[in-house]
Order: sequence, then structure tokens, then C-alpha cells
Amino acid sequence: MADLTLPLRGFGWERIPGAAYMLAVLSASFALVSNGFVDGTNLANIGMQSTILLLLALPMTLILMTEGIDLSMGAVLTLASVVLAAVAVKTGSVSLALAGALALGAAFGFANGALVAWLKLPPFVTTLGTMGIASGLALVITDAQSITGVGDDVVFFYAGKLAGVPVPLLIGVAAYLCTHWLLYQTRFGTYVFALGGNREALRLAGVRANAYLIGVYAFGGAMAGLAALLLTARISAGHPTAAIGMEFDAIAAVAIGGTSFEKGNGWLFGTVLGVLLVGVLRNGLNLLAVPSSLQVVAIGVLIIVALLIESVKDRA
Amino acid sequence: MTALTMPRLALSGELRAIGHRLLAVVALCTVLSLMSDAFLTTGNILNVLRQAALVFLLASGLTLVILTAGLDLSVGANVGLSACLAASVIQATGSAFLGAAAGLVSGCAIGLGNGLLVTALRLPPFIATYGTLWVIHGLTYWFMAGATIHGLPPAFRALGSGYWLSVPIPVYLMFVFLAIGIGFARYTTWGQEIYAIGANPVAARLSGVPVNRRLALVYTVSGAMAGLASLIFLARLNSAEGDIGEPLTLPAIAAVLIGGTSLFGGVGTVSGTLVGALILTLVLNGMNLLAIDANWQPLVTGAILIIAVALDVLTRGRDGANR
Amino acid sequence: MAAVAETLAGATRDGGGTVPLFELRDISKSFPGVQALDGVSLEIRAGEVHVLLGENGAGKSSLMKVLCGAYQADKGEFLYRGERVAIRSPSDARALGIAVIFQEFSLVPYLNVAQNIFLGREPPGRIPGGVDHGRMHARARELLHLLGLEVDTRALIHTLGVAQQQLVEIAKALSQEARILVLDEPTSALSGRESERLFAMIRRLQSQGVAMIYISHRLAEVFQIGDRITVLRDGRKVGSLKPKDTTPDALVGLMVGRKVDTTYARQYCESPGEVVLEVRGMAAANGVNGIDLVVRAGEIVGLSGLVGAGRTEVARALFGADRVTAGEVRILGRSRIGAPDRAVRLGMALVPENRKREGLALIRSVGDNILLASLKRIFPRGWFSPAAGATVAKERIRQLRIATPGTRQLVQLLSGGNQQKVVVAKWLNADAKLFIFDEPTLGIDVGAKEEIFALIDQLVKRGAAVLMISSELSEVVKVCDRAYVMRDKRIVGELSRHEMTEDSILRLAMHDG
Repeated sequence: MADLTLPLRGFGWERIPGAAYMLAVLSASFALVSNGFVDGTNLANIGMQSTILLLLALPMTLILMTEGIDLSMGAVLTLASVVLAAVAVKTGSVSLALAGALALGAAFGFANGALVAWLKLPPFVTTLGTMGIASGLALVITDAQSITGVGDDVVFFYAGKLAGVPVPLLIGVAAYLCTHWLLYQTRFGTYVFALGGNREALRLAGVRANAYLIGVYAFGGAMAGLAALLLTARISAGHPTAAIGMEFDAIAAVAIGGTSFEKGNGWLFGTVLGVLLVGVLRNGLNLLAVPSSLQVVAIGVLIIVALLIESVKDRA
Repeated sequence: MTALTMPRLALSGELRAIGHRLLAVVALCTVLSLMSDAFLTTGNILNVLRQAALVFLLASGLTLVILTAGLDLSVGANVGLSACLAASVIQATGSAFLGAAAGLVSGCAIGLGNGLLVTALRLPPFIATYGTLWVIHGLTYWFMAGATIHGLPPAFRALGSGYWLSVPIPVYLMFVFLAIGIGFARYTTWGQEIYAIGANPVAARLSGVPVNRRLALVYTVSGAMAGLASLIFLARLNSAEGDIGEPLTLPAIAAVLIGGTSLFGGVGTVSGTLVGALILTLVLNGMNLLAIDANWQPLVTGAILIIAVALDVLTRGRDGANR
Repeated sequence: MAAVAETLAGATRDGGGTVPLFELRDISKSFPGVQALDGVSLEIRAGEVHVLLGENGAGKSSLMKVLCGAYQADKGEFLYRGERVAIRSPSDARALGIAVIFQEFSLVPYLNVAQNIFLGREPPGRIPGGVDHGRMHARARELLHLLGLEVDTRALIHTLGVAQQQLVEIAKALSQEARILVLDEPTSALSGRESERLFAMIRRLQSQGVAMIYISHRLAEVFQIGDRITVLRDGRKVGSLKPKDTTPDALVGLMVGRKVDTTYARQYCESPGEVVLEVRGMAAANGVNGIDLVVRAGEIVGLSGLVGAGRTEVARALFGADRVTAGEVRILGRSRIGAPDRAVRLGMALVPENRKREGLALIRSVGDNILLASLKRIFPRGWFSPAAGATVAKERIRQLRIATPGTRQLVQLLSGGNQQKVVVAKWLNADAKLFIFDEPTLGIDVGAKEEIFALIDQLVKRGAAVLMISSELSEVVKVCDRAYVMRDKRIVGELSRHEMTEDSILRLAMHDG
């Protein structure tokens, strides 16, 4: 599964990932049941809204592959979004705001990575702690109020178009291509597989495993910083609880896409499918007026179905 | 084992286990009383005790789970759903008793569900309870449909806000369950087996301990205590809405870890959790007294959690326990 | 890559008379209580397969660890082409071209073959940080071709069988210009055909001048592949011969015949009591099959065989720790054990081989550990009294003479022998009728060994039955009333008191392996 071209070589039912089946089935169902689903604008919306989740899910894939996890991503995204809004409003400079968000995200990512790699703290509980710190900071900075007055130059990054293509889609595609290159074409990516698959082998080979592990978490933080740009642009404000909990959707998307909590096994394109699935599910359920709270339950069911399909395919 | 010798042993053993943490409590109290006049007032002390009691009740069951080297991330969400169910039942039937029963049953059921996921499906505890956390969260929001339930009967409210002999009722509950907790952990065979499971589950199994049954038990107990805590919480707040209980998970885990129970299992005490809850509550109380913005509290709790985990890892020195 | 080909092409097979490629002289290594290596000397010649033969505990793995830099020798020296060198760390060994292929491979399951071979040494691509996949795969293909492994370099490791993974591991070593390859029981996980292919590869490497140290206990292989055989016994070299100058029986004789280090004499059981354990045709999920055995009250029955024969698996299956798939196990007439907690209730006890991992809760106290298997028996209503428990524990401590300052001492601070006694105390408390001991004296000094034997004897004198798994043949012969011998996961023979000698056991355990 480390090769994007793998599913395309030779046709066979078992080669199609479970997520693809589910996407087809789910989309077809919504198309039948709900009028507004198969609408050009609606579908475009799904794509655009999914981009923010994609920016989180891509690095989350890498983190899960190292047998770790980052529960603080949603909170870091929220914090970065708030900071971005504040800087944009104060200085009027988008680049400065973006730089701030990226730096903040990377800093949190580095901190997470350092705690996990150097101090050997368990990732789950540790990122639970940093999640508290990040969400607390967001509340403190904003005094629990939204930061409004974000200019059009920021909003452009969500609502605008470049050469006829919505900017978020461009960013999403670029982010995917970069992460793909990182994971499959660089030494860094090779070591991500090894960090989860056989960390000791990596050390025996003389590689500084800790540095790369920290790098993986830092990458996640930086992507959260980038996602903050899209988030702030989308809601035209910096809201202190905007993306709290989004890490769950990201983890779900990665798991549905086929990356399990297994050792060093991961499929990046699967994450894209997973993100689309979550996006389609939420969108479809919204159109059916299902409350967002139940949508979470639906996502949980989706994960279970994906896992079941994979295990059935394994046995076949 | 006469009645005379048992309490003496209980005190000395438990005290020895939590010695320097009690010193930390004393130190904190001293510092706080110096920093603010409002600290050593009756009202404030009782408030601290009441808050600590709530955290402790929630964290006491969680202590047993962590003793087995497991984790229950869903306790906060559990409190939320159980409180909302209890409030709805009270509102629908007017009976505080039925409401309380509903809350407790809900807590137990969620706990048992977690236990089954961990033992029957063999899901790692952190993944299983992370999943149930979100499912319960979603169910709570959907159930409440954005509404809030107010105005609970005074008899019920006394549970959280009432006093007896000038001491808040939750404090009595705290001591009752402290005794029960110590009794269970130290003075039952089940408690001994739970410590053994945390210390070495393989050796425990090969020594004839029915590991799965005990694990299912501790998760159920954790859920039950969440159910009980939800009643106190509900009684105190006198209202229930969807996001109640959300901010409770972090302090609960922090209290257990500060109290000296190790994430790696096999080491720790229920009384330690009580002291941990006290320490945490004192810190947050101090922040309140110093008029520090309440928004800082989750931040401080998160930081304290990380420090507690770091201390745990550094003292245990064990690698490879990936949670 | 060019360097590797050069090295391999340039070196020739040393016939003898020239300076050996590598030499160990008088290597000694001791651990507390145990002399692992005692003045061992070894010559390694290019293009030669040097077999290292010996029983468990003979010193093979210690020697290997010293050679690869994991252990430091206490005394002795290393010579590389006649010149003294030091091996103080794994990187020193690697620099000298020494590579060890352990039984647990260091491969990453979801990376492909080429990536695994060049892990940490990937050829850089044009963009900084990138990898030149084309060049990496080309080099990998060359290496695999040299080894005769026909596998796509793009294949992920987890899709390969054990035999192929092993060859990838060897390719990895060769890519680091290894000139001395140490193979640790390489055929233990291979089928017959796969072993043949491995031998073909070994011969190919030989012709290219690679020196190999081949560690094994399988005599047939030794004669098939070895150019020279060195036999170790009790940390000493007891013989170094060419295969054509010896026979399998002579080798067995060298490996065995250890100086008996205990004066313990046991009164054997003349009239065993009722049948306590009866096993008919048992097969288990862990691979053992065709297991028939009987143990009676008052008997100490041995279960012998070499590493990998399946003895621990039999013990686990009997105890319910692993699933029984066929046959019947009856303890005191009751069958269908299923799980360890039921086994304990029915009166079984298992003293595991790895006491730290499976027999003790190290961070708990001596008292806690002693009481663990008998909590229900001593406190039937569930109320645990620390004082009562401590009293029981203290009595066991006294009875078994466990050296500990008290019941509260953490078990991890005790010596190996005393830790073992704690495990035995645990089961004494449980009032077991059948004791399964798996390597009871492993890692225990001589004095404590005698105590353990005396303990076991007391158990059977009081009417219990004992099944004792042991690799120390002298132990089995001295202590047991009867012995079963296992090989390749089946029971291949039963020896009565008179038939039991170290020779006879070893022959059954080794021949045609």
C-alpha cells in the first residue's frame, strides 16, 4: 500500500479499497434520498469544506503511522486561527498573519514531538494535555469572544478563485502533493514507515529516530497553522472554539481511509477518500436535517463499517 | 483482625503512601493563605472541599481503571449524558429518586460498554474510550436538542448544594467513597488482583486471575462513579445542557496522576487520588482568588497533566507503553 | 556497490597456512555467578563455513554477542588479518565487516526490499531530502542476484515469507560490505526446501570469499554445510574438527559429558500414586501435536529436548494458556481446562521459564506475589487482610528460606534464585497437585539449584506430581524418575530410569533434526 499506483495495476475487486466502495454507496444513497445533494454548488461545497479537514488529516496519517496520535490538532488549529485573525486585523498584513499561524502551529507540534520523543511520554495523554493548553490559550487571548473585522484579503483564501479554480481546492491539492512527495519520495517519509514499523531497526541503522519523530509532529502543527488560514477565511473571524474536536474527524478520516493503528502501515490517498467520506456524510446528513450531534455517531458507525470491510477483505 | 487494629493499619499504610503529597497540600494552603486574605475563610475552604469532592468522586473509579494500566477518556462525556438523562427523568416524573436511578444506571451502562469493548473486542482502552467519548457526546447533544433543563426539586439539589452540620454534603460523600475505595483496593481480594493485573497482566493471568472479568469490573465501576458524580454535578448546577461534563475529563485524569497512580499500572492509591484532587482544586482556587481569568484554567490543568505524566514516566522509567 | 563486488571478487578461499581473516584468542566473559566463556579461541577464514555447535548455555550466543560488539570480553584479543583490533561497540564490529543475522530480523514491514536494504543509507536524489529510487532499486537488484533471490525489489517486506526475509537481511548485511557473516540458527524457521536454497546461497557466498559462522544444533546440517566444526561446552572449546574427520556420535559425545556440578542425590519414586495428569493425542494452536503423557503422584517426570522442540508450548497448552485443538487433557480426572484460572482451580501450577515476564509482578512485593495464586483459597469471602496475608507469606519465606528483608520487599530487588523461590512459594500456597516447572534452575547459582531440587522433591514426597522441563541434561538424569523427549513439536520417546542418560536423551533430541 506504499505505492499510489498499486491499486491501478490489474483489476480485482479486492484491490479497491473499502473506502472507495463506501464513498460510492454513500454518495448514491444521498443522491437518491435527498434533492439538494447532486447539485454543482453543493458538491463544490463539500470539496471546499473538506479541505480544512484534509490539511489536518494528511499529517495525522503520518503521526498515526508512527504509532502516535495528536489530540491537540483541533485546539491548535483554533488557536492559530484566532492568532491569525488578531494579527490580520491589527496589522492588515496577511503574510504576517499566516507566518504567525504557521510558527505557532509548528511550535506546538514541536512541543508535542519533543515530549513524545525525548521524554518518551505516551502520545495520547500528552496531547490531551497540550490540547487543554491550546484551547485554554485560545479562550484567554480572545476572552471567549470572536475576533471580527477580518479583511477581504484573508477571506479570499476561502471564497476566492485563481484561474477559475477555488483557492481552497488549489491549496488542498498542493498540500496533498507535498505530503505525498514527503512520504513516498524522501528519506523523511521512509523513516516515518520505520518509526512505526520497527523503530529499533532505524536506530540500529544509525538514524536519529527522535529527530524524525519530532519532525512528524511539527509537520502536523505547521499544517494546522496553514489550515487556520482557510478556517479564518471561511468564517471571516477568529472564533475561540471553532475547530475544537476536529481532530476526531481527522482521525476518523485516516482510519476509514485504511491506515489502521497498525505498525507503520499507511495509505495517503486513502486519507483523501476518508476525508471525502466524512465530508459527504456530514453534508448529506445536513441536507436531511440530521443534527450535527448525531452526525458524530454516524461517523463512528462509518469507522466501524470501514474496519469490518477491511477485515472481510483480509479473510477473502 | 480485630476492629481495633484494622483502622490503625489503614491509616498508617495509606498515609505512608501519600506522605509527601500531603505536604504539598499543606504547602499550597500556606502559600495561598499568604497570597490572599480570602483563602482561609470558612466559605472558601468549604468551597474548595466541595469542588475537590466532585473531582474525587469522578476520579475514584478512574483510579481503578488506571491501576490496571488502562484509561477511560469517556468519564466527562459519561457525566454529561447521565446528568442529562437524570434531569429529564426528574422533569418528566417529578421524582428525584427515579432521576437519580436513571443517572446511575446510565453511568453503569456506559462503563460496562467500555469494559466489553476492552475485554471482548480487545480494543486498546484509549482507543475504545476515545470512541465512546464521541458517541456519548453526540448522543447527549442530540438528546438535549439544544435545550436546557432547569429547576430541579430542592430535595435533589441538596445533594450538591446542601449542608449538614455546616459541611457540604458532597464532602461527606467524598469521605464515604474514600473509605469504600480504600476498602476495595486494599482489603479485598479483587483489589489485590487489580494491582497484579496492572503490574503484570501476563503473570496475573498465569497465576489464575480472571483478568477479563476484573477489567470489565473496573470499567463498570468507573462508569458508575461517573454516574454518581453526574448527580452531584447536576444538583450543584441545578441545570443540565448538552455540554455539561465536557470539562471534567482532564481534571479527573490529572487528579489520578498527581495522586501518584501510574499510567503504567500496578502502583497507586485511591487516597492519593483524593490528595491529587485537593492539590488541583487548590491551584485552581488560588487562581480564582488572585482574580486570574477563568479561561486560564483548562490551560493550567493541561500543563499540570503533562507535568504529572512526565514525572510518572521519569520515575517508572518504563518504555514501550504506548497510549 | 562497486566496493562490495570488488571485495567479494578479490578475496579468495583460504585453504590454510595463510593468516586467517579473523581470529579470536582466549576470549573470556563472565556474568555474576556464571562463566559464559572461558578462554575460547577461534579462527575464521575467508570463504569458510565455520560451524559453532553446542547445547543451550554452552556459550554460543555469548560468543556471538562478543563478536558483534554487544558484549565486552573480559579477557582475550581479536586479530584481523593478524593485527590486533578492538571491538568495543556494534559500530566497531560493523567497521570490521562483521554482521550478525539474528533470529529476529531488523526489517521494516511496510517498506519494500530495496528500502530495507538501504535503510539509513539511501542514495540522495536531485532534490535535497529526496531519494534516488532508481539507483537504489538497481543496486538492490544486483545484490539479490548475487544471492540468488528472485524477488521484486518493490515488494513490501511483510508480503515475503520468512526465508525470503532472511535473505533480504543477509543482503542488507552484504550491502554494508560484510566479510564475516554470523548466522544464528538460520534454519529454525525454514522448511526443508527453503533450507536447501539457503545452503545454495551460502555456497555461492563462500565462492566469493565471504567467511561465515554458522550456529546450529542440527547435526545433519552441520555435515552438509560445514567446513570446520567447533564444539563448545560450558563456555569452553572442547573440539575443533573437520567434518570428514568425525562422526555425529563423536560430536554428541563432545557436546555432552559435562562435569556434574551438584552433589544432590535423590531418592527416586518406587511406587507412584494415582494418575494426576493424563494427556492423549493433544495438539495445540501453538504447533505441538501428538502429545501423549502421564504423570503420577510422587513422580518427577522430565520433559526434555532442545530449544524449539516445543516443550514450553506443551506446558502452556496443558495450563490453558494456549488453545488446545485436539486430544484430551485430564487433571485428576477433570478435563476441558480452557483457561488458566480454571487450571489453577483444578490444582495446576505453572512455574514459567521467563519468571520475570510471566511468573512475577516485579513491582509488587514479595508478599503480594506469594499470595497471588491463592487469594480465593485463603480468603474465600473476598475480604483481604494484609496482616493475615503477611503471616502466610512469612511462613513460606521461612519454609523456603527466601533471602528477603521482609514481605514488603519489592520482588525485582531479589536475586534470581530467590525470585524463583517466590514463584514456587506462590504455588505452594495454592495447594497445587500438579506442578509444571519450565527450566526451574535457569539463571540460578549452584547452591540455590540444590535447594530448588530439594524443594521439588518435598513436593512429590507430599503427594504432588511434577512435570519438569529442563535443557540441563545432567539435571534431568539426576532428578527425574522418567523422561519424555521432544523434537520438532512432538514427543519422540519415553525413557525409564534405567534408560535415561545424557547421551540417550540427546540422541533422541537431535538426530535427523
